[in-house]
Amino acid sequence: MTDRAMQEATFMILTALADRSQHGYGIIADVEEISGRRVRLRPGTLYTALDRLRADELIGVDREEIVDGRLRRYYSLTPAGAKRLAAEAARLQAHATIALARLNLAGGVTQ
Amino acid sequence: MTDQAKLERRYRRLLAWYPRAFRRENEQEMLAVLMSCARDGQRRPGLAGSANLIRNGLRMRLFPSVPRSARSVRAAVRLMYAGAGVSAVNLIILLVFIGDAAIYHSLPGYHLSAAQVSDLNVNAQFIALAIVSDVVPIAVWLWMAQANGRGRNWARSLSTALFGLATLDLTGAFGTPGIRVVLVPMLFGATIPVLTWLVGLTTLWELWRPASTAFFKPHGLTQAGYDAQVSSRTGRSGSRFPRQF
Repeated sequence: MTDRAMQEATFMILTALADRSQHGYGIIADVEEISGRRVRLRPGTLYTALDRLRADELIGVDREEIVDGRLRRYYSLTPAGAKRLAAEAARLQAHATIALARLNLAGGVTQ
Repeated sequence: MTDQAKLERRYRRLLAWYPRAFRRENEQEMLAVLMSCARDGQRRPGLAGSANLIRNGLRMRLFPSVPRSARSVRAAVRLMYAGAGVSAVNLIILLVFIGDAAIYHSLPGYHLSAAQVSDLNVNAQFIALAIVSDVVPIAVWLWMAQANGRGRNWARSLSTALFGLATLDLTGAFGTPGIRVVLVPMLFGATIPVLTWLVGLTTLWELWRPASTAFFKPHGLTQAGYDAQVSSRTGRSGSRFPRQF
């Protein structure tokens, strides 16, 4: 059975964790940057997604720190999470390639 | 009290919408992120931010995250939400037809005179009782989905007992079936009651599979022992599951 398409927020969160572990606020800031300031995750949405991703064993807690008296928990991708993200990225890339190829056939992309 | 302290206290109140077990593990961290996202001089959570916290808190209460490794429990939880959906359809049908006097004349086991039918229709108490008797199953399905999804062993046992009672009720073991049980089958055949029963049966099968048993906290196990078991099973703290009560 194939996995269902991933929600954009989930894809962005996993992408933010693809090359390094990050804490909650770092993920929010990184997702905003990755998306060209189009997606700004709210903390409620982020932690609901993190809880689900942890339950699905796609991410895990890397370490915890106390900074200015506040808890900072760093999350990182698990091997299963990296595999799932790679599969989703390949799926999106394949779809984008087909879309662009057909647009070119139809006379090119107009902006 | 400083503006920052006031804002933090308000955020803390909003976080009360989340399940206790989730708060125990994540509240401090979420507060840190919420405070980092706040504007300078902000004293109150914004409307959209508050709505987001409330929505996600409720969502987490209603739809617990079941570990991917516990596939059979995930399936059981989904079936329980499907059961709630089927019960909701039952309720809608009831609401649409409960005021239709003609229907009551032909209900088996309800040999009512025209006057009695008229009484029924104006009897708000009777209508309210019928509606409540249909709302309760929806609430029970949702409650069981939430409790089973959180790995509570008592919920699995209670689900089994409730299914037994529902089976007996459906077969008329408790006397003449209630108007709720009779009305909908009269109009639409046995589809909905049988479908509900089958959903319940499949749910129990998923809940009692050996693969599910590992997910549920056994009776008599201490919280520390359970946490250790969950931690070794899922690689995360067992404290996300509420204490058994």
